[in-house]
Amino acid sequence: MKVLTANRLSDGEVVFWKAGHWVERFAEAELFDEPERAEEAEGQAKSAHTVVVDAYLIDVVESEGLWAPLSFRERIRALGPSNHTQHGKQAAGGEDIAALRRAHGAARSTGRVALIKRK
Amino acid sequence: MYRYDAIDKDFVADRTAEFREQVARRLAGEITEEQFKPIRLMNGLYLQLHAYMLRIAIPYGTLTSKKLRKLAWIASTYDKGYGHFTTRTNLQLHWIKLKDAPEILGHLADVEMHAMQTSGNVVRNVTADPYAGATADELDDPRVWAEAIRQWSTLHPEFSFLPRKFKIAVTAAAKDRTAAKIYDIGLAMRRGRDGELGFEVMVGGGLGRTPYLGATIREFLPTRHLLSYLEAILRVYNRYGRRDNIWKARIKVLVASLGAEEFARQVEAEWAKSDPGHADLPDIELARIRADFRPAFETLPARSEALETAKASNPAFARFLRHNVHPHKQPGYAIVDVSLKTPGQTPGDITSGQMEVVADLAERYSLDEVRVNYQQNLLLPHVKLDDLPTVWAALEAAGLATPNIDLISDIIACPGLDYCALANARAIPVAQHIAERFADPERAETIGELKIKISGCINACGHHHVGHIGILGVDKKGEEFYQVTLGGSGEDDAALGQILGPALPADKVTEAVEQMVEVYLRERRDGERFLDTFRRTGVAPFKEAVYADAH
Amino acid sequence: MPTHIRLRDGRMAPVEDPFTYVADDQELVPGDVILSLTRFQAEGDRLLSEGRAVGVRLEAGEEVEALAYDLPRIAVVALAFPKFRDGRHYSNARILRERLGYKGEIRAVGDVLREQAGFMLRCGFDAFEPADGSGAQQWEAATRRFRHVYQRAADDREPAFVERDS
Repeated sequence: MKVLTANRLSDGEVVFWKAGHWVERFAEAELFDEPERAEEAEGQAKSAHTVVVDAYLIDVVESEGLWAPLSFRERIRALGPSNHTQHGKQAAGGEDIAALRRAHGAARSTGRVALIKRK
Repeated sequence: MYRYDAIDKDFVADRTAEFREQVARRLAGEITEEQFKPIRLMNGLYLQLHAYMLRIAIPYGTLTSKKLRKLAWIASTYDKGYGHFTTRTNLQLHWIKLKDAPEILGHLADVEMHAMQTSGNVVRNVTADPYAGATADELDDPRVWAEAIRQWSTLHPEFSFLPRKFKIAVTAAAKDRTAAKIYDIGLAMRRGRDGELGFEVMVGGGLGRTPYLGATIREFLPTRHLLSYLEAILRVYNRYGRRDNIWKARIKVLVASLGAEEFARQVEAEWAKSDPGHADLPDIELARIRADFRPAFETLPARSEALETAKASNPAFARFLRHNVHPHKQPGYAIVDVSLKTPGQTPGDITSGQMEVVADLAERYSLDEVRVNYQQNLLLPHVKLDDLPTVWAALEAAGLATPNIDLISDIIACPGLDYCALANARAIPVAQHIAERFADPERAETIGELKIKISGCINACGHHHVGHIGILGVDKKGEEFYQVTLGGSGEDDAALGQILGPALPADKVTEAVEQMVEVYLRERRDGERFLDTFRRTGVAPFKEAVYADAH
Repeated sequence: MPTHIRLRDGRMAPVEDPFTYVADDQELVPGDVILSLTRFQAEGDRLLSEGRAVGVRLEAGEEVEALAYDLPRIAVVALAFPKFRDGRHYSNARILRERLGYKGEIRAVGDVLREQAGFMLRCGFDAFEPADGSGAQQWEAATRRFRHVYQRAADDREPAFVERDS
């Protein structure tokens, strides 16, 4: 399963593709289970060069019934920096942010949970 | 410090206008991202994980209160109220919008600042001794030369599309506080046989995937020939540096593949063909630059009773004096470190409020100067001994007085995977964890000098190769692991660290540091620092302690 | 026919290019031609004796010193940029002008963008074939962005330190 992500040209904000436009919350991103549809969207995104920069597809995994980016790097992009939890998308809070933080998969190990959760 | 004349002001104004137009064309789709990216980089603007990052140049790490206040204002107006000082003594803002960048450059220009050439395949910010003008052991103020190089290299038409970035450091003191051996060019001032001043020219230092220490290609270059000689080096690099592989494109690879001797020969041959009068600055211009680097010291007694009294009555202040205050060449003055390494905070980060505090202190107590060093700390270079108690109290109140300079919690760490698009792992939480574990000032003092340096990827912006303990973040099947090295040093005894053993998971790193500190405390003799003990015992006892569980 | 811009009386002007590039594996055409370094070394003498104007096209890895002896007879040196980021020809152009005293046309071809106009002009280029669709007016504007320069190069602009002293 994939999601299409990019950075918005004007302000660098991390965005996710949803049905032809861009959203800021990972939880709202469109999920692609067919490679052709994913690549078609990627092609469209790449041609919109005054809207976004560096559009690319990322793998997502299922965790507790919700989807999360597979890679640690993409989780940080979807959340924000771990040293300032009041900065970035994570500041909005909510269940989807909490779920991203808790997500299992390639990025998690017991030690890391403690590091990501700021006191 | 150097003050812009009308020409310098015109220059940054023209640069800002050019960039404004280029951004407008990019936003309108008239230039592609591929064409725009080098332009954007030449103005210090990166696209990172969460937003654009603007890297503001702080030439030779010197600021005035006016400049620092403007940085504070920009950080709170356009960013999230803080900035990050880097190992090249620049300031990074991590949450910048492209559409605001031209305006920000305009504000910087108002205080004689810019973001030119802090990125891209160009000559980058020239760094110099943070003690310049304040230390007795210097032959000259290196910043005069750093400013000469800055101007010469700015929009140099031949050297704006080098194979890769190019970093120069200038030191003029007996003790090298610039890590000159780890840069593309390190210039160390020397006195020649007949008393004239010159530079030892070292080329080909660099960390990253293939770390090297710079090789001396010229023992003594008279200072007046500095720029023409640099032209020769840059031209050889521009023509023959590799362009086929980004990992082999730095000058260090060229020097290593030709051998230092052959490289030196090529530079000398190129220099011999050139007309030095073309590039070298006339004395009148050097004198003009130099005139701005003359602080007006008062004549004061060498001893301050007020200081001695405060020291005797306040152990915390006494500890601060022991670690964060250094002798000044002028009697009655001192150099004060401003620690940006409060345990638990992000190394090198400073809030706008803290910047204001430092600006006020600089204006009132440090002849209006602030310095930035490559360890990501600040300094107030010219503080009267009498004023030290007051300065300390103000720094304390602002969280800037942790007495940990060169101690275990004075960690260098790059922004890492929390911010940087190049990173493999996070560096900040690792630094925070270690610093918090060793936050007790007495324990830190007992351990003594221990320089930990952490990089989130092989690009080594955290200088891990030259840490007494170096920590490199790696990605092992999607998880954050950390490679530990020991025994590196970026100073006159420069050396690259030795690998300790297999990479450790994130939750084992602080423990490993604890174990290594225990080994050191157990093994040390006669006032040895951690580095000295390691050099005597070798890696074995440390490796055994950290990997004991594996047996 | 690609846009061809030439510096004329200190200004950028669109001009017709009298030269034809002839690749190594192509047959020669009549008139003025630009050849690769290898082909020039093989056939240059003959073509010059026919009274044609002859130019040489250098790739990024080729060194301008190879032309040193022939320069008086070469009408144009075309320096080919494989990618605009490849800056080797900036050194080549300066060496041609400042060291070898070349007076003929130095032309920038290949991946040539108007953002490089200022740098190229200062290094001694005086003709340009932009790859980004830009024209003479835009190149003229691009070279006028900076009122001052900080260092000497192949052009006659005075560096700041000379301006200051006057």
